[in-house]
Amino acid sequence: MMKNFVEFENVYKRYRMGEVTITAADGVTFSIDEGEFAVVVGLSGAGKTTVLNILGGIDSCDEGRIIVGGKDISHLSGKDLASYRRYDIGFVFQFYNLIPNLTAKENVELATQICRDSLDADTVLDSVGLSQRKNNFPSQLSGGEQQRVSIARALAKKPKLLLCDEPTGALDYNTGKTILKLLQTRCREDGMTVVLITHNSAITPMANRVINMRNGKVISNVVNPNPMPVEEIEW
Amino acid sequence: MLDGKNKMKKKNSMGSLRKNIIREIINTKSRFISILAIIALSTGFFTGVKTSSPSMMETGSKYFDDQNLMDFRLISTVGFDDDDIRAIKNEESTVDVMPSYMSDLIVTQDDIDFVVRVHALPEITDTNDKLINEPVLVEGRLPQKSGECVIDSYFYEANGYKLGSTIKFNEKVQNNNTADFIKNLEYKIVGVVDNPMYLTYQRGNTNVGGGSISFYMMIPPEDFVSERYTAVYVKTKASESGLSPFSDEYENTIEQQTKEYEELSEERIKIFNDTTLADARKELAEAQTEYNDKKAEAEKEIADGAKELHNGEAELADGLLKAEKEITDGEKELENGKKELAEGQKKYSEGIAEAKTKLTDAQNQYAAGKEAYTKAKLEYDTQISKAQAELDTAQNEYDKQYNVFYSSTKPRAETMLTLVRTVMSIGDSGITELETLLGEINEQYNTDLQSKKELEDIIAKLGEYRTKINEYLSISDRLEELNLNRLSDTLKKYINALNDAVLSVETLIGKLEGIYDIGDGVIDKLTGVTNNLKAYYNNLDDYSKQLDNAKVQLSDGEKQLSSAATQLENAKTQFENSKADGAKQLADAQIQLDNAQSQLDLGKLEYENAMTTGLLELQTAQTEISESEKQLDLGKQELETQKSEGMKKLKEAREKLAQGKAEAHSGLSEAEDKLNEAQDAIDALNNAKWYVYDRDENPGYSGLEEDALRVDHVAAVFPVFFLLVAALVCLTTMTRMVEERRTEIGTLKALGYSNVSIASKYFIYAALAAILGSIIGAILGLATLPYIILDTYSIMYTLPDTILHISWDSFAFSAGTGILCTCIVALITCYGELKQQPATLMRPKAPKPGKRILLEHIPFIWKHMNFTSKVTSRNLFRYKARFLMTVIGVAGCTALILAGLGLKDSITVIADRQFGEISKYDQVYALSEAGTSDKKAYLMSQFHNDKRFSDTLLVSQHSTSINYGKNQKIGLNLIIPEDDKTFEKMFILRDRIKHDKIDLNDNSVVINERLAEVIGAEVGDTISFTIDEVTYSSEISALTENYAGNYMYMTPTLFSKLINDETEYNVVYTQVEESYKDSGHDIANDWMQNDDIVTVSLISEQVDSILDTLDSLNVIVFVLIICAGLLAIVVLYNLTNINISERAREIATIKVLGFYNMETANYIYRENMVLTLVGTIIGLPLGILLTSFVVLAIQMDMVMFPQQINLISYIIAFILTVSFSFLVNFIMYFKMKKISMVESLKSIE
Repeated sequence: MMKNFVEFENVYKRYRMGEVTITAADGVTFSIDEGEFAVVVGLSGAGKTTVLNILGGIDSCDEGRIIVGGKDISHLSGKDLASYRRYDIGFVFQFYNLIPNLTAKENVELATQICRDSLDADTVLDSVGLSQRKNNFPSQLSGGEQQRVSIARALAKKPKLLLCDEPTGALDYNTGKTILKLLQTRCREDGMTVVLITHNSAITPMANRVINMRNGKVISNVVNPNPMPVEEIEW
Repeated sequence: MLDGKNKMKKKNSMGSLRKNIIREIINTKSRFISILAIIALSTGFFTGVKTSSPSMMETGSKYFDDQNLMDFRLISTVGFDDDDIRAIKNEESTVDVMPSYMSDLIVTQDDIDFVVRVHALPEITDTNDKLINEPVLVEGRLPQKSGECVIDSYFYEANGYKLGSTIKFNEKVQNNNTADFIKNLEYKIVGVVDNPMYLTYQRGNTNVGGGSISFYMMIPPEDFVSERYTAVYVKTKASESGLSPFSDEYENTIEQQTKEYEELSEERIKIFNDTTLADARKELAEAQTEYNDKKAEAEKEIADGAKELHNGEAELADGLLKAEKEITDGEKELENGKKELAEGQKKYSEGIAEAKTKLTDAQNQYAAGKEAYTKAKLEYDTQISKAQAELDTAQNEYDKQYNVFYSSTKPRAETMLTLVRTVMSIGDSGITELETLLGEINEQYNTDLQSKKELEDIIAKLGEYRTKINEYLSISDRLEELNLNRLSDTLKKYINALNDAVLSVETLIGKLEGIYDIGDGVIDKLTGVTNNLKAYYNNLDDYSKQLDNAKVQLSDGEKQLSSAATQLENAKTQFENSKADGAKQLADAQIQLDNAQSQLDLGKLEYENAMTTGLLELQTAQTEISESEKQLDLGKQELETQKSEGMKKLKEAREKLAQGKAEAHSGLSEAEDKLNEAQDAIDALNNAKWYVYDRDENPGYSGLEEDALRVDHVAAVFPVFFLLVAALVCLTTMTRMVEERRTEIGTLKALGYSNVSIASKYFIYAALAAILGSIIGAILGLATLPYIILDTYSIMYTLPDTILHISWDSFAFSAGTGILCTCIVALITCYGELKQQPATLMRPKAPKPGKRILLEHIPFIWKHMNFTSKVTSRNLFRYKARFLMTVIGVAGCTALILAGLGLKDSITVIADRQFGEISKYDQVYALSEAGTSDKKAYLMSQFHNDKRFSDTLLVSQHSTSINYGKNQKIGLNLIIPEDDKTFEKMFILRDRIKHDKIDLNDNSVVINERLAEVIGAEVGDTISFTIDEVTYSSEISALTENYAGNYMYMTPTLFSKLINDETEYNVVYTQVEESYKDSGHDIANDWMQNDDIVTVSLISEQVDSILDTLDSLNVIVFVLIICAGLLAIVVLYNLTNINISERAREIATIKVLGFYNMETANYIYRENMVLTLVGTIIGLPLGILLTSFVVLAIQMDMVMFPQQINLISYIIAFILTVSFSFLVNFIMYFKMKKISMVESLKSIE
């Protein structure tokens, strides 16, 4: 297990909206160890999504250094960033972002076809419990099912880092729980490093590490030595 | 107050609405531009092209008005006088009449002859208030004095003349002097002009020089020498009333006026004939009478001379006849002598031959005689010896016989005789005894029964008989011994009979003893026996007689022997005698033989003698004959000499007469020529004619309208495409827009805005885009297209600057349709959303669900596709409107490009096929009508002898017309070739598709395909055609491939049959030898020196003119390609734009997944590429259709377009379309790259 698998060092991100400059990340510094289930929690606008975007290589920082698996990604070119996303990152979106024109299986395969070393789409879908819905289009699936497809798509790439942006945000309580359970299981069983952002602090007990953000700053970074199973958490 | 408030409110709401719309436009620039661009494109292109045609006509029309172009040009064979001009002026239709002058003269420059049409500058006269056909001064000034000229700008540009340089005319114009037409030979160029009569570069034809006019120039009217005006320009109410020269009204008016002026011309010609001509005729008649008298006199004198000559001839003939007779007699005699000699010779040879034969015969006879003698002698010797031998034998025989006879035969015979006599005597007694016995028996029997004793006697007697028989037997034996067998036999028989008799008697006796009683039979039998015995006795008697005979014979033999001895003796004597005779005869023969020998010798001698003398005589005769022959020849020679001398004299006399005659004739013929000339002159005046030409007769005039209309026809094709595509673009764009604004619509609706006010935003948005697009398009289209197109035509037409005549109709149509489509589409999509509840609207619309497509059911293909392909396929079929829009747009683009290129190919191919494959001739010479067939034959031989021609063909060519449809008429050329074989070399008649050769036959005609199409005729139909106002008809046997011009072909036989007259040939088609192809003009010039050639046309000039037209088409093709490209770009841009904005989320997602930029781009572009390919594939056949449509639209009656599209055109159309697609992709790449992952992922809306 690598210590400080993910490292943020004094990362700044500023958005210019006309004459107003919003500092979304204001000297963010934290680190996550490999195989940890890290939850970044904070209110809306606390900068957690910005952090996740920068970590996922879909946004750039203005200042600071981000090291993932020993590689500095803060100054990568567009193409290198794409490669980084391609091989190192699995992304789970709040709104699933499935390609409506592809079936569940095809959506997974969309990810696997660009990877060198990927999991079999069927296997992954089986593992997220969607054996029966593989050939359905997203519109024929429920939200939870769609999110599972989304997770399957992210997992299939065998990423070093699984990033989840409010994965339960659009789901009902129970479905959200199942999804979280799925993520926790993946983390525990496969040793996958998971970074999950949420505004719901109620789910922090399930994490190995909880990073609390406010106004673009990390206000706490706490390791939880005994994470609770998801089933025991209530919110 | 309230009102004001409301107003305020309204104003505010209007204000916010306006702001909303403006913001909307600014926010969705590309969408707005899409609609605007497609509408601009369709409106601009349509309006622009549609305006070209009227602009062209308007420009022309204004040019004609400004330069006051005449409506009619009148030409007369006899010119016009002032009365004529006044008469024309007085016509109802006439507004102005300008009498003027015109001559075709020749200028030689660098050894090349140019025909120049010299016009008089227009001037104001009593009959015209304005100048007619006023030239436009391009450079310099107008002539101010005699000897100055202005020159054709077209020519001026093309040749090396400069202002101030001098043009020098040739002194002669064919048979006439230039000085007969104009005052000066040299003219100084003071200016350069355009003349409205010459609209194109064509300068028209003439019967002077090379047949075509090279350029025109204008000189002051005073410089013309002619007393009468040579041209009259008329301005009529038709153009003065402001009618467009291209309108039907104008044409109809002109048609009527033409008739009017033609009627006037007839009147004027009649007046001319009655006045000017009458006097001339009278004088001519008088001169004719005088000439006739003189002619008669001269003829009489000549006749007298001829009579004398004739007498002399007769005398000479008599003398000659006599001499000839004498000679003939001499000849006859000679002939006789010859005959006699021949006979003598014959006789001589015959005599000789005879003598020879005789001699030979004698010789032969002698030889034969000699042979016979030898033979006879030999025979004599043999016979003598033989006779000697025979004699000896006879002697021996005789001796032998004598001996035999006397030693044996005679004694034996005598013995036998004695024996027989004995027998006889015995027999005699026996018989008598027997008879007696019998009598006794009978007696015994008859009297009483016989006693036994008697019987015993009888038996005893019988014994005696037996003895006697034995005796007989011995006699018989002796007879036998003596070889007297017959006698012995007879005796034996007798003995036997006797024996039998004895036996039977014994038997009888026995029986008598046994059966004494047996009666009569025995006696009968006994009688029989007695009879038999008697018979035998008779026989014996015979024998006795015979023996007597034998005795006689014996004595005979004795006699014979003695006679033989005598004979022998005689023979001996005879032998001796004959031996002596023979010897004597032999000696005689020898003597005869010797005599014959000597005679033969003599004969031979004589024969030889005779031969020699005969020969000698014959030779003498021969010599005599040859001598007399020689003399006869001499006589003959003399006769000949005398004859030829006589003839010579006669000939001289004749020649003198002929000379005299000729002199008289030439005097007369000179007079006659003069008379004829005078007659011709009067004839020319006699056939006086006016020609009424309207503007269409100006070279190139009618082409302007045709060209203008052609552009119009091409333009008619496109709006369909553009409008269809425009509607589709609007549909997709507006649909997307309304969908995007769902929430807004829902919110507004929830806030209580009415449907109308909500919809008005989209309606106004669409309408604004469409109206702006229409206006921008129209402005751009009008500012470019008419100018581009007219500029192209300005290469061909001499026109002033383009005057834009906007086709408002077209603008209204295209803009109206575009705006209407857009607005309707906007409303429909908008109201589709507005129907729903605000709540529904405020919820995000579920993305259009994925759907399985047909392709997925073909696992083989589907499984092998990657995801981008799968997504592409599904997307393609998901949005059908977009699919249609893009495919139609792209297909339209390909089709337009192909149509443009195809149009060019089709026209290019005309020149290639018509002049490369079908018309193989290079030059056409028109012959003057006058001329006998001999003259034409001579001319043809000259053509044949010209080595610069590889082939020449005499043709009877006629301008012919065919009426068809409702009062429609089409002109064509009737070609009647004199020679089949050359015809086949110069005119290729063949089926267009199969290329089967078509042969002419004597029963039907062949016409070209286009002509048949225009008049609606087919093979087998009978067509009627008119030549010189006479109508004929014939069956069509075949349609031949031809592109330029209309033709009918038939054989001279058929033509003669139709016109019921001999076919007269008037045109010569020639093919120039390959090495002289470049010197066509020189050849034509050379031939124009020949008075029998009226005009020459060069095919190369026709080809050039067609190629010029082609150049102008390049621009049209270019315009088409640009428009097609814009169409493709707008459509593809729109599609891509919608795709990108709609699928920003998807794009962001796959970017997050780690797709590289190119991969992401391909995700969208693949759709474009597939649609482009589909569109192109549909577009190519569509292009073929479009090409045929365009080609048909611009097709003329006279020209058939072959509809050819070259392979390269397909390739270009394909590549260009694909390139446009790539261009759009390239532009959109940056837009795609700019899509922010972060923004797109934020939320669904």
